Formats: sequence, C-alpha cells, structure tokens
Amino acid sequence: MSGSASQNSRVILAVDDSASMRQMVRFTLESAGYRVVQAVDGVEALDYAKNSTVDLVLTDVNMPRMDGITLVRELRGLSTYKFTPMLVLTTESGQDTKQRGKQAGATGWIVKPFSPEQLLSTIARVL
Amino acid sequence: MDLSKPVPNSSESTDDTVMIRVSSWTPEQQIARLLSLCEAQMESALSESDVAVEALVKSFAGLIEAGQALGSINEKTPEAGASDLAGQLDALKKQTAAAIVAFQFYDKLTQRLGHVRYSLSALAMFVCDSAKTSERDQWKRMFATLRRLYRTEEERQLFKMMVEGASAEEAREHIQQSTLTLRTAPTGEIEIF
Repeated sequence: MSGSASQNSRVILAVDDSASMRQMVRFTLESAGYRVVQAVDGVEALDYAKNSTVDLVLTDVNMPRMDGITLVRELRGLSTYKFTPMLVLTTESGQDTKQRGKQAGATGWIVKPFSPEQLLSTIARVL
Repeated sequence: MDLSKPVPNSSESTDDTVMIRVSSWTPEQQIARLLSLCEAQMESALSESDVAVEALVKSFAGLIEAGQALGSINEKTPEAGASDLAGQLDALKKQTAAAIVAFQFYDKLTQRLGHVRYSLSALAMFVCDSAKTSERDQWKRMFATLRRLYRTEEERQLFKMMVEGASAEEAREHIQQSTLTLRTAPTGEIEIF
C-alpha cells in the first residue's frame, strides 16, 4: 500500500495487480490534483478502506486473492461506502462480467486502455 | 458452434491434406486447431504491442523536443517566453497522455500472453490423456475452458474465428484490420451505470 499527497483533498483508491497500470493511473490522477492510494489486490484495498476513508474507488477486475467485483460488493456492504463512487477499470468488455459488476454495485465500467482526459472527466462526473 | 463437426471447407482446394482435414474428425486435427489459435493470439498481441511501442517512441521524442524547446525559452526574457512556454507545456501534456495510453498496452500484452501460455499448458496436459483426447465432448469442454479464458474483445473475436475454421491467412487479415482500428481509436469504452 502506498500513497501520495497533493493539494486536492479528494482521495482515490486505485486497485490493480499490475505495477505499470497503477503508475499510469497515479500519474493521471495526481496531475489533476487528486491524492492517490494504491492497493495491489482486493484484499489490500478492502483492508485499507475499512481503516480509512476514500472518496472514490478505481479497481481492476482480475486480481489474485480478491477480484474487483468482489471488492465492490464487499465495500457496498459497509455503511461508509454505500454511496461512494466505484469505477471498474479493466480489459474485460464482455456484457456478462459488466452485468456482474453492475449488480455488485459498481458505478461505472471503463475498458482499458484509458485516455487520461476521459478518465479524469469520468471521475469528475461521478464524484 | 458444434465442435464435433468437421472444419468447414473454405475453398474448393483439391489438396489431399485439406480434403482429409475437412472430411474426418481426429484428435490431431483438434490439436492443430488449438495450436493455430494460440499462435494467432500471440501474433495479434505482438502486433498490438508494435503499435504501442511506436507511440511510445513518438511520445518520448516529442517530450525530448518539448524539453529542449523549454530550455531555449528559459534563456529568453520571461516576458518574451511566457506565451511560447504555455504552448510548449500544452504539447508536453498531450505527448504524456499519449504515452500513458501506449504504456497500458504492455499490461494488456502481458495478460494476453499469459492466456496463451495457460492454453498451451492446458493443451499439453490434455493431449497426454488418451481417454480424453478420443472423446469429442472432452474437446468441447477444452474449447469452452479456453473460451472463458479470453477476456478482451480482440481475444474473443480471434478465438471465434479460429474455432469456426478460419485459415491462418484470414486470421492475419483480421489482425491487420484490428491494428488499423487501434491506430484510430486506441482507448476503450466507458459506461456509467
């Protein structure tokens, strides 16, 4: 788990088992002034979220230990995360998986690769 | 698709080997089909990465150029350089954004090659089990298992083509077309629920 500080008070929890993807997300979000906290999988993200507060969750789907859809479902079960925006950022574009994400409580679905501009506008829209 | 059916004949070839391939069902035929699929997936992934690497090179070249321009502006008086600096910074931002998109293809490439590796490994185990290789239903299950493995649209399209009997040439054409599409629209879709 690692984080970075900036002028913006909004905290985004970025969850991905790929280090390069986490870096791309961090570069993008920090350039817009968000504070980014990173987690390598759903277990680490859930643990962090239970002990801290984040304003938005951006998660991959396929990860070891706990996948992103399970993470969203688990977070939605917590009173503090009932209304927190949760975006899924994944290479998965299949309708079945997307529907599972929606049913778990995801706010939106972004298929990789993302463009920094589109990611930032989507986050601004749901925050 | 019914995998128990012979591979559809896509031409009127009189080649004996082709005639044997389309007229009979053999375990070896299925092995060849799966290996062709794996090869095509790898080729597609590598083709995709070529686009990404190309974009990276362009982006970094742009960044270097912008950096040099900023250095030159810095030597000028602040008044004279202010508007030029804003323009150069904007160019730098665009190049960085392009690099961020391109970098993500490495992640995708790793994922796709991981699927191919899993496929080859699963196939290697499968063919060692003669009780399975002689059963058409077992082959159907094998294909279904691999189908579930492929999660990107490109992987699924290629899988569908190959199991439906596309030739290596047809697959190559499809990959080239996908690569062209990638050049014009490299980023994925966004849906808010």
